[in-house]
Amino acid sequence: MVSALSRSRVPMQFEVIAKCHTTKARVSRMSLVHGVTMLPTFMPVATQAAIKGLTAQQMEALGVTLILNNTYHLNLRPGLNVLNAAGGAHKFQGWDGNLLTDSGGFQLVSLSKFTTITEEGALFSSPFTGEPTMLTPEESISIQHTIGADIIMQLDDVVSSLTTGSRVEEAMERSVRWLDRCILQHEKSGKKGAQNLFAIVQGGLDPLLRDRCLDAMIERRDGVAGYAIGGLSGGEEKDVFWRIIKQCADKLPEERPRYSMGIGFAEDLLVCVALGVDMADCVFPTRTARFGVALTHNGPINLKLNKHAKDFRTIDENCPCPTCKDRTSRAMLHHIVTHETAAAHAITLHNIVFQAQVMGRAREAIIAGKFPDYLRSFFAQYFGDAGYPEWCINALRSVGVDLLEGKPNAKVILGNGAKWEYATN
Amino acid sequence: MSQSSAAATFSFSLQTPSRYGPRIGNILYRRTGPSSEPIQIATPGILTATSRGVVPHLSRDNHRATNAIRWVNVPFETFLEHNPPVPTLQPGLNPLHTFLGFVPGKHILSMSGRDPYDGREMPPNGVQHISVNSLRGVRKLSPSDWRSYVLSCKPDIVFALSDIPFTNPPYSQKRLTKSIDRSATWLSAILRPAEGERPLNVLVHMAGGTSAPARKAFSDSLVEKLYGPEADAVAPLTTLDEAVAGYSFDLVPLRQSLEVSEKRDPRNASPTDLNPVIPTHTEQIIPLVKASLTPLPETKPRLINSTESPHEILHYISSVGIDLFDAHWAQRAADIGVALDFEFPVRSASDERRDIGHNLYDEQFTYDFKPFADAFRGVISEEDSSSVPICHCLACSPFHPPSRIYHGFDTPEHSGTPIRDPESAPHYKPHHTRAYIHHLLHTHEMSAHTFLVMHNLEVLDAFFAGIRSVIAERPEAWTEEVEKFLQKYDGSLKVFEAAKASWKAVELARGKGRLAREKEKQDEATLGTVIETDD
Repeated sequence: MVSALSRSRVPMQFEVIAKCHTTKARVSRMSLVHGVTMLPTFMPVATQAAIKGLTAQQMEALGVTLILNNTYHLNLRPGLNVLNAAGGAHKFQGWDGNLLTDSGGFQLVSLSKFTTITEEGALFSSPFTGEPTMLTPEESISIQHTIGADIIMQLDDVVSSLTTGSRVEEAMERSVRWLDRCILQHEKSGKKGAQNLFAIVQGGLDPLLRDRCLDAMIERRDGVAGYAIGGLSGGEEKDVFWRIIKQCADKLPEERPRYSMGIGFAEDLLVCVALGVDMADCVFPTRTARFGVALTHNGPINLKLNKHAKDFRTIDENCPCPTCKDRTSRAMLHHIVTHETAAAHAITLHNIVFQAQVMGRAREAIIAGKFPDYLRSFFAQYFGDAGYPEWCINALRSVGVDLLEGKPNAKVILGNGAKWEYATN
Repeated sequence: MSQSSAAATFSFSLQTPSRYGPRIGNILYRRTGPSSEPIQIATPGILTATSRGVVPHLSRDNHRATNAIRWVNVPFETFLEHNPPVPTLQPGLNPLHTFLGFVPGKHILSMSGRDPYDGREMPPNGVQHISVNSLRGVRKLSPSDWRSYVLSCKPDIVFALSDIPFTNPPYSQKRLTKSIDRSATWLSAILRPAEGERPLNVLVHMAGGTSAPARKAFSDSLVEKLYGPEADAVAPLTTLDEAVAGYSFDLVPLRQSLEVSEKRDPRNASPTDLNPVIPTHTEQIIPLVKASLTPLPETKPRLINSTESPHEILHYISSVGIDLFDAHWAQRAADIGVALDFEFPVRSASDERRDIGHNLYDEQFTYDFKPFADAFRGVISEEDSSSVPICHCLACSPFHPPSRIYHGFDTPEHSGTPIRDPESAPHYKPHHTRAYIHHLLHTHEMSAHTFLVMHNLEVLDAFFAGIRSVIAERPEAWTEEVEKFLQKYDGSLKVFEAAKASWKAVELARGKGRLAREKEKQDEATLGTVIETDD
């Protein structure tokens, strides 16, 4: 179904095609100026206008239709004048698919020690001159207009998910006020025909604050094309994490895409999808590739480990990625990993396809009415030996799927779940 | 010369025979078996260098998309970290191709014991071994092990082990004598035919160091008729040269010896300098190369490793008639941010002297949206410049891939995206720009080097195509064309020096401790779900 709004006022066409009969998962078609992206989807991160080591042509061949650029970084380098002269970030990086930019708020807080937030905006010292510089909501939007991404994000007041007390409430309320300023800036820009503004729900780990934020932002639905769930994935308890996601996804309007920021582990992705999330991004799959970790349906493989030195099998026999299709052996990857950039490229190609496959299979299962089965079989294969994370069991039970059904002896891991050897030498 | 019909055949034919002058030829490599389209390499031409078995910065799809990559040399020393070396355990018909991801129908693979570019000081070689480098330290490689590794890995071409000292030049008369004796013995060890094994295509390094008489003596030993046990060892061969497929020359040890003889430090660069520049000594080396070639038939291919510039390459073609050159310097240029931009023959003779490439770190490229080279354009070119040749690298002429991977409910029937006919001609996109690579270099993005390597190899390949066309079509104009080239392009390679300085600055600012910092983040990630999105 297409809402009247998305047809008439925003360039985005968002259509829910199918819903899971048990969970809140859904399949949708999101049409943007640079093409169609089927949801749910995972968005690889091209922080500085390149997926590390790969070319735009390779990304297209991998079947990726939507990537992410970081506003904070592109604003520093190459800078807006260059992007303007190039005709926008799409042309600058040779990417014809869909593009999303964040607002830069998160990086201001995470990368700069000296950022202070005022009602006007975020005050920080310029990394070039050291001079005090102000990033206002209006500026963030206008920077994102210059970059030209298909989806742009509001500037929000980000606090760490571990922050408690009145600062969380203040940040949430300010994020709502800043959303109004972002909407206003976006409305008057004349860019609404090409770019779509997303709001970011804040409110920390406090359900009451989240609820107030949701109410306020849903009121502003005419001004936004979609909603992100922000302020999570910062080290909070996973059992709290999923409850907040569920609370937000349950309340957000049906006819808008929902984007969970900073989520990339396969188990997190599938739980979020089951709770009704449509989009997610994270640097994890590409970063971990550079350290030699290949993601598979049987769990991650650390190719730095000596046990792979004489293993002539490829990463995953059934994987359609160029690395596995060509039967690149684990032994060869072990030989070059962390020594040759080509190893990072090979594993990055694989991990991006792995993420896309996890989400693609979810779409197929939802369409076929078999999403609960997919969840059970994915988790069995992925965690079968390592043990099921308890929080995943809880989260999926909340939407009617019991991962342990028929498995009375299954191993369960309490707390935040299995600890893969992501970086073991 | 071709070998037993049961095995793959390597043949070299000269269209314009010449002992010491420019010459064009053709290498034909024909495999046995069903897919036996021969691989052809026109000479003068290039071989691509590898590091740990890969063409640096290129994933397999990208090295296959780079048509300049046809002959690939694999220094084997890094594999000696394991015993037995892992590629020797690879099953299949073409184990080395399979292990490294090269295509038997497209790529000729050669295997050398050492990286010919590596001139670092090494422990002495012995009667029965050379010293080689691996990440786990120095290893000894014996001629018999070398033979067994080669027989297991089945490269298309093998460099015989050669006793090249990397201790402390200058080397005494006695050391040189030892060197040529050992090299000849080790050559016969790899030439020795064995029952049930296919004969090998062997290139021999021309031993003798900087002594012309010693070099000639080595070559004489190749062509002289063998008697007694020496003859028995290689029967039915009567001379070693009979089974030699071609001759190779490594410039690095020669340059180091010549530096010493001029009272300079042969390894003057700091140990952290990845690309020490030693004077090329071309004028002194040319007679040494000729001394080696004098006794030998002119019909076999000649290969030189470690030239540093197109200028030097032209010298060796003009004065010696070299057929094959490694591309290491052009690949290395990509490491330090240089996009090559030169052409042969020179089409426009301007007065302006030019660099052979652009240091894309330079601020002047911040707003430069042109293709990498002035001498070439992309398939889609904004201005009407149809007279400018096309660079087919994926930086200058990228295209929409003919097919993509689908992941589930995202095929055209579901997404409504129009399908592309995979059989149709490539759907080209605009070129990547100098400004984009400038940005990627300054943000320390690996993709910069990927684009530059693909581009530089294509430019070098086009340079050789131009060389062949002049020799074939206008041999009388050769000297004049070389002169025009030397006039137009700066041979002092200032652009490399500038690029290296910028490269180091960015490494220092962004690269230093970068891996350690990333590792820290990674470790955090194992403890919970702390993933910073500031990638």
